[in-house]
Amino acid sequence: MRYVLERIAFSLFALFILIFITFLLSHVVPGDPAIAAAGPNAGAEKIQLIRERMGLDQPFHVQFLTYGSKVLAGDFGTSWFTHQPIADDIMRELPPSLELVVLAMLINLVISFPVGLIAARYHGSSFDNGVRVVAIAGAGLPIFWTAILLQQKVAADWQLFPVAGRLSFAYRDFEGATGFYLFDSLAQARLDVFLDLIMHMFLPALALSLLFTAVGVRITRTSMISEFRKDYVVMARAKGASEARIMFRHVFRNGATPSLTVFGMQFGWMLGATVLVEEIFGRPGIGRYAVKAVTQSDIHAVVGVVLVVGLVFVISNMAIDLILFAINPRKARED
Amino acid sequence: MIREYSLKLSLCAAVAAVHFASAVQASPSGVLIIVENETPENLDPANATNSTVNQLTIGIYDTLVQFTAGETAVSPRLATGWSISDDGLQYTFTLRDDVTFHDGSSLTAEDVKFTLDRLQSSAGKVLNDMGPFAGAEVVDDLTIKLSLSAPFGPFLSALSRIYIVNKDLVEANMGEDNARQWLAVNAAGSGPYMVKSYKPTEAVSLVAYEDYWGGWEGNHAAEVVFRYVSEPSTQLALLRSGEVHVAPDLTVEDKLSMMDEEGFAVDIGAAATPLYFQFNTASDGPTGNNEFRRMLSMAFDRELHLEQVLQGFGTMPDGPLPSNWVGHQMGTETGFDLEEAKRLVDENGWAGTELLVRYLPAIEEERLAVEQFQSNLASIGITLNAEGMTWPAQAATVQDLATTSDINMIYNFPSFPDAHAILNTSFNGALTGYNGGYNWGQYSNPDVDALLNAAASSSDPQERVRLYQEAQEMIGADHVVITVSNPGFVLAMSDKVTGYVYNVAHHQTFNIMDMGLSE
Repeated sequence: MRYVLERIAFSLFALFILIFITFLLSHVVPGDPAIAAAGPNAGAEKIQLIRERMGLDQPFHVQFLTYGSKVLAGDFGTSWFTHQPIADDIMRELPPSLELVVLAMLINLVISFPVGLIAARYHGSSFDNGVRVVAIAGAGLPIFWTAILLQQKVAADWQLFPVAGRLSFAYRDFEGATGFYLFDSLAQARLDVFLDLIMHMFLPALALSLLFTAVGVRITRTSMISEFRKDYVVMARAKGASEARIMFRHVFRNGATPSLTVFGMQFGWMLGATVLVEEIFGRPGIGRYAVKAVTQSDIHAVVGVVLVVGLVFVISNMAIDLILFAINPRKARED
Repeated sequence: MIREYSLKLSLCAAVAAVHFASAVQASPSGVLIIVENETPENLDPANATNSTVNQLTIGIYDTLVQFTAGETAVSPRLATGWSISDDGLQYTFTLRDDVTFHDGSSLTAEDVKFTLDRLQSSAGKVLNDMGPFAGAEVVDDLTIKLSLSAPFGPFLSALSRIYIVNKDLVEANMGEDNARQWLAVNAAGSGPYMVKSYKPTEAVSLVAYEDYWGGWEGNHAAEVVFRYVSEPSTQLALLRSGEVHVAPDLTVEDKLSMMDEEGFAVDIGAAATPLYFQFNTASDGPTGNNEFRRMLSMAFDRELHLEQVLQGFGTMPDGPLPSNWVGHQMGTETGFDLEEAKRLVDENGWAGTELLVRYLPAIEEERLAVEQFQSNLASIGITLNAEGMTWPAQAATVQDLATTSDINMIYNFPSFPDAHAILNTSFNGALTGYNGGYNWGQYSNPDVDALLNAAASSSDPQERVRLYQEAQEMIGADHVVITVSNPGFVLAMSDKVTGYVYNVAHHQTFNIMDMGLSE
């Protein structure tokens, strides 16, 4: 229990530092939100009036303390661009991104673990060499390039998947209670909508996952190779344990720790990278929202997005830590 | 004889078909889908200076007066007529008596007054172009009087962006922010279309308002959907697959190829959004010297830019005003002459000078123009360093003379087709960057200011033309800008789309109330 509390306290401290750094960077980067908010031909007087209304005339530490105390009270403020509560904006944009990341992560896990494990078992074989080459090449694939290629070939030319969007036009009026349409469609027993969502998500999720999968395969393979070399594997073989039992019962369980740690971090990285596929596939999401906020110097919205992405990052890492702790408490403490 | 009879019969059949078609299409039908690269800021008509907002509000709301697509003169919309006092300080409008908001309530002068009052108290962006507007007064239900603190020639034109909101509905949702939050995602209009759904990073759907006072005679879309897709290649794929009907943001190459593709059409609108290199005329450095600026003016090839960057989609610039605008003066800007520029550099010992230009790298036209300018200047011994930024960052640098770069790239997006909207914005000393304006050349010439101010307060069209022409001569002699281009507004669309006409007063919008789909 103490271990869990320690992890939570550490995560909260990390989030506070994250808010401070983002807030600081947003003020250091050149740009005057008051100009954008005042509009064209506003004149100095009006810009100053708007600046005061936005609180931008206050010293940095006053602005940070005012904002920080609001955030602690659960209020992310109002976007200077959309004029909506930032929390509402984020709650609208986060679900489509999270759904995409979860699917991309599933693709990642489904490929990385078995391929990494088998490559490690048959270390040095032609299969292993092939996996290494593909993984190295895959790790160098820029996400946006993969996304454009998949879209233009698989969707536009071969017409196997939709070109863009979250849902087909026929379902444009679909609304869900949670914003997580995969869940909402199932809750409403709308299998047609669910399948349509998957069709729209598949290529973006694949494009998002490939780079991470390549890294996942390499990490899994490396950690499993060192595991296969350990004495207990030799002992198990000597005792006559089946190869499948050795691989899945012993090697996989013990060697999964480094991979799981990386996958935990990848979840957060993926969320940060969704903008690349959201822009190309014309999907709503936190990435597109963040880009707009940055280009409009919508500081509080930028901080809000960073905080939420950071929160997802922290939660996913904490979840992995707890899983590892549950699997092997002593080893987790040592790590 | 038989032939003549057949012809008559065919004509009768054609006429009957047209009548039948119009009878069938008396109510709007079909779903028109437009793909856009920029997501909307919000729905609040106070922000309609932004085209992403304006392209929605133009269909949702009504204005007192309007510029219809293809026209450059103001015509009535909610106002059936108006009178202007002799001193030019009072504008009295008579309103239509058959206008209802989308909730069925009648539009009256109270709504007009409320709209303007709200804009004043919320510092709405659209008020920036209203000059010395002072206040509104209700005369009776259908008469409203607007007052100015000084005469302002383009006042009627500026009113074309003031969208009238439903007082009762908005007042009930004022909150503590003059309904900024509420109107950002809700509508309170009387226009031809109502908001069906608003998902700002995905799509906005508008549906026809059955009781619209303008009626629905002709071919109109029952639903208009804006889809937001930023990637041009995705827009092209959607257009080709028939999932969208109108795509304005394709690459120039793709627009060229769509001109020859069956089933599609490309429209080239005579836009008036000139792109400038603005020289920092107030600088202590080299661009503070008029002769140096004259040399710079000769180092950019507009013709090459039009041919290679715009692929011919635009008009050749001739001074800071588009040449087809009332008040344009020909031949005020120095032409391309690299040899003469080189001679001036050698004669004055300017070789080795380093300059800085700031621009928006996300806009390909700006990036390519900077590259040409860099290359030309390098060939005559001047180094042009380039710094790409976001728009708010670039705007922040010109707020102070000390941080203003030697050259800035900026488009002028006039809110209405009047010389004032371009010349005053870019050249009046009261609107320099350090005064919060778009005169990023920090140009301040009292004689030019006097001419621009006199033209703005005059209501005599001939006099205004004379004053603007004189101002352009002076601006040209001071070498304040290089007018890089007058790009056209080019969009590709399905050949099923009917009724689209570019509207110079509402750049980057669509006259959706006139558009429809043919079978």
